[in-house]
Amino acid sequence: MAADPTRRRVLTASALAAVTAAAGSGCAPGRPWPWANPPRPAPDVAVLQAAIAAERGVVAAYSAVISAVPALAAAAAPLLDQHRAHLAQLRQRLVVPAGAPPSPRATQRARRPAAPVPAGRSAALAYLRAAEGEQAAFLLRSLATPMTPSLAQLLASIAASEATHEALLRPAGRRR
Amino acid sequence: MSATGSGGRRAEAAAANAANKALQDALAAENAAIFGYGVAGAYLAGARQAAATAYWNDHRSARDTLAALLRARRQQPVAAAAAYRLPFGVRSAATAVSLAIFLEDGVTAAYLGLVAAGDAGLRAFGARAMQGPAVRATFWRGSSLAFPGMPPAARRPPRSPRPPRSGG
Repeated sequence: MAADPTRRRVLTASALAAVTAAAGSGCAPGRPWPWANPPRPAPDVAVLQAAIAAERGVVAAYSAVISAVPALAAAAAPLLDQHRAHLAQLRQRLVVPAGAPPSPRATQRARRPAAPVPAGRSAALAYLRAAEGEQAAFLLRSLATPMTPSLAQLLASIAASEATHEALLRPAGRRR
Repeated sequence: MSATGSGGRRAEAAAANAANKALQDALAAENAAIFGYGVAGAYLAGARQAAATAYWNDHRSARDTLAALLRARRQQPVAAAAAYRLPFGVRSAATAVSLAIFLEDGVTAAYLGLVAAGDAGLRAFGARAMQGPAVRATFWRGSSLAFPGMPPAARRPPRSPRPPRSGG
């Protein structure tokens, strides 16, 4: 269908009038472009960033224990592998819109220096148990913020995995 | 919110139904686990039988908690079946342990369903409640899972991207 020539002429004229008015007034008139502000990250993003930072802390704690107490490497390695799997799943879900500012909470947690690994096997185990317990509690607390059901399931599952790690790290006979 | 009153009410009712269904599913899982531990316990001795008895009691108290939650929501809690079809023959201590793992994994998954179906309160309840069965499964297995309650496919580490196959 051909456009109505009269209508087209009217549109052109009004567009020209607007441009002329804008150029004439000197200072920026009109609205800013709608895409001038980056999209706000989804509610999941801040939760994911905080969970990733915290999970990285647990991975660092395991790596530190394995290098400080090599006798624990055999027991700690499979648990460390599972934490790496947690981290991979969390990272896979993180989609940050381009240009969005980094979450201040996440960067704060990441920068917090880790406590040194205490000497001795049982003290090092207690150190890992504390890291697992803190991480599981942190994830349970984070479930209070609004998020998608599938992220809630991932965080709950990771928290449960960490609760099982804590049980495995208890001295034999105190597993329950 | 631009949703009309009746649309909002309908969405609320759908959310409440989903939460009730997930609570009933968790209760059904606890009922089945109580039955299953009765079978498993008969083939276990010593410390493992003591664990089975303690875990059986854990499931009974979890059942009571769920039934109370459902009654508070004006729902009739689902009744336990007289018997459940066992997933495999249980005639030894080893198969009894496999059955216990099967039971705890099933209960863990049921609570994970609650995590997705509920409001923030039920989400936290489900997340907390799944830790018990996950830890008990770890006792029987002797090792832990990276993603308790998730279907086996989700437990595998994420794959590197692959070219899409034709005819998906």
